[in-house]
Amino acid sequence: MDIALSPAQQALQQKVRDYLAELFTPELTAELAAAGAEEGGGPEFRKALRKLGEDGFISMSWPKELGGQEASAVDQYIFTEEIVRTGFPYPFLTTEACGPVMAEYASDTVREKVVKGILAGEVVVAIGYSEPSAGTDLGALKTRAERDGDDWIINGQKIWTSLADYSDYIWLAARTDPDAPKHKGITMFVVPTDIDGFSMSPIWTLGSVRTNATYYEDIRLPDEWRVGEVNKGWKLITGQLNRERLSLVTHGHAEELYLQTARWAAETAANEGGMVIDLPWVQHNLAKVKVGLDALKLLCWKQAWAMDMGTLDMADASVAKVYGTEFFLENYRLLMEIVGQTALLRSGSAGEALLGKLEHRYRTGSILTFGGGTNEVQREIIAGAGLWMPRGRL
Amino acid sequence: MNFAYSEDQEQLRQLARKILEDYCSNEQLREFDQGVRFHEGLWKELAAAGLLGIEIDEEYGGMAFDFESLCLLIEEVGRTVAPLPVIPALVLAAGAVHAFGSAELKAELLPGVASGEILLSAGLAQSNAYSLRNTPTLTARLEENDWVVDGQQSFVPFAEQASSILVVAQTSDGPALLMLPSPGSAHSGLQAQAQTATTGENQSLLTCTGLRVAKHYCLAHGLGAEQALQTLQNRALAATVAQMLGVCEVMLRMTASYTSEREQFGVKIATFQAVGQRAADCFIDVECLRLIAQRAVFAVQSCDPAEAEEACKIAKIWAADVGHRVSHAAQHLHGGMGVDRDYPLWRYCLWAKQLELQYGSGAPYTQQLGSDIAAQFKAQVRQ
Repeated sequence: MDIALSPAQQALQQKVRDYLAELFTPELTAELAAAGAEEGGGPEFRKALRKLGEDGFISMSWPKELGGQEASAVDQYIFTEEIVRTGFPYPFLTTEACGPVMAEYASDTVREKVVKGILAGEVVVAIGYSEPSAGTDLGALKTRAERDGDDWIINGQKIWTSLADYSDYIWLAARTDPDAPKHKGITMFVVPTDIDGFSMSPIWTLGSVRTNATYYEDIRLPDEWRVGEVNKGWKLITGQLNRERLSLVTHGHAEELYLQTARWAAETAANEGGMVIDLPWVQHNLAKVKVGLDALKLLCWKQAWAMDMGTLDMADASVAKVYGTEFFLENYRLLMEIVGQTALLRSGSAGEALLGKLEHRYRTGSILTFGGGTNEVQREIIAGAGLWMPRGRL
Repeated sequence: MNFAYSEDQEQLRQLARKILEDYCSNEQLREFDQGVRFHEGLWKELAAAGLLGIEIDEEYGGMAFDFESLCLLIEEVGRTVAPLPVIPALVLAAGAVHAFGSAELKAELLPGVASGEILLSAGLAQSNAYSLRNTPTLTARLEENDWVVDGQQSFVPFAEQASSILVVAQTSDGPALLMLPSPGSAHSGLQAQAQTATTGENQSLLTCTGLRVAKHYCLAHGLGAEQALQTLQNRALAATVAQMLGVCEVMLRMTASYTSEREQFGVKIATFQAVGQRAADCFIDVECLRLIAQRAVFAVQSCDPAEAEEACKIAKIWAADVGHRVSHAAQHLHGGMGVDRDYPLWRYCLWAKQLELQYGSGAPYTQQLGSDIAAQFKAQVRQ
């Protein structure tokens, strides 16, 4: 075994780190720090994303025949982990989930307009899967697409359509055969957000992050905006999950919080005398975080490595999802305890510590355990695929 | 980056598994539930297959593989709860002689270790301490060409059967690593009192009264011994975690198959979500333990001892938690079967507890790790 980054991987990590340090101009930092812009969409964000496209980072993991560089999953993870560390709202779902699927299955029109745009860092796509009554049970979705000559007429509503407010397109799952069993009547479409009949209303979340309800009212969409075969959309939804999961749970941001908090504790005088980091319970919390963090890093590395070897087990991705997301919440708690009541001060407060990052992470963190496949369902997958236990009624 | 074992290592694991499984059925193990929990026949069988000399140089009759390979044997011992003192004999005593002994001592002991004729043991844990790097309870002073040893050393597995025992004693200038004779031999000044650990493993309490040990049985002394103890603690922790991994893996699989067969209310109990989710949590625990164990073993083998120390402590903290959680989840999900001595689970649970506390448990290592982290960051800030 060799459980470490190789010299070439270390060099890549350094290269990405240096590159990102340069990408983060004061203007970009200021834009992302402004309330409501943390999730991207501003002009500086767009500029940085275009630069990432120009410099070949977006196409890094894509297959060669789709215009990518076919980087190994480990290399892709190194990039992902570094960019997550910086806090840049990189649109992973666009670049890792729907982009490559569109490149493989879409019409020339979509490839020309959307896929090229994604690779150039000019296009962002929002995911239109969830509906008010189709969440974890995605197959229950009701949004309809009906054939009308060369076009499709789309009607329905999606919810939690994050990034729709600045996205150029919606990657939409719609029902095209209401009589087929629920997973067999779904087709994928790309819907331009400036098309007639598309509208949205914002949903403001606990984490101050905006998401959206999106509405589709008699949208007339030419057939060339359909992706993949009619009624075969389910395969496209599930096909890219592996690569996508590599970006869902990474150790980068959690490690960054740990390092920054530990440093803060070493620099900050404790009321009792000495430094905060001299307090035994602070050391205990830091040790707990370090112990959990190391396991997360190893799980992520192993997952990426196994993907490259073609030995990734179905249960592995679920293990990383459950462990990672539950660790994140514990991590925020242990680190917030160290910073104490100051950890409650929101970014911009006079007495803030660590730019209010812990407070922000706490508020945005609660979606982690149910977003991207709720943890109970992941555990069901683990019991079935990892332990071969018979499945009960869901 | 590579998370795979080599082909040679995989073969070695298969060989070890085959032999151990042949000797460690539930029926066969019953014989060792009382009395001396050491399977001499199996030990000899492993020796004949070369598996006691995995890490020993070829010139002493070994296979000259590496620590990682030895830990595969240990993981398999964990999987089969085989009544064998692999860690004190091979990881600690033979490992210490191999790394720190004189050529003469190596030639005296190691060929016998590899062939199974010499059983070594080790007692490095102190009864009032929580890791292996504390002030020893034995003392030693140099008189002419002998070390004269006094005091008590607890937790010495199979002292009566061992030909020679690795201990650490305090001297006027630091610790000394010594190979004591067997209390069974005609030496005056060495007594062994019987103690039985929760697993049934015999772990003697040794009392030395003016015991004279010839100078060449000293492996290291002073600073050298302190460094040696760092290496030995790393090895002990990584190997204990590897053994825990084997124990937990089997408890988990046993639980998954039992709950998939057992019916209540007309259905397999595995189909209850509460059961499936708890088993899934154990699966996650075992996967984390596997990676953290493999990383610790890799670090012992490939990194400098100071770097490996952190990986080993982290691994022991994980092992202590996972052993506790998986053991109790397994017993709980088995219901009464989990405590029935006719069903094999109970031995695994006892081993999980022994390995949890052996050579230091989670809490003291968490405290040490926290204090190491504080020192690192304070140094960083000072710069």
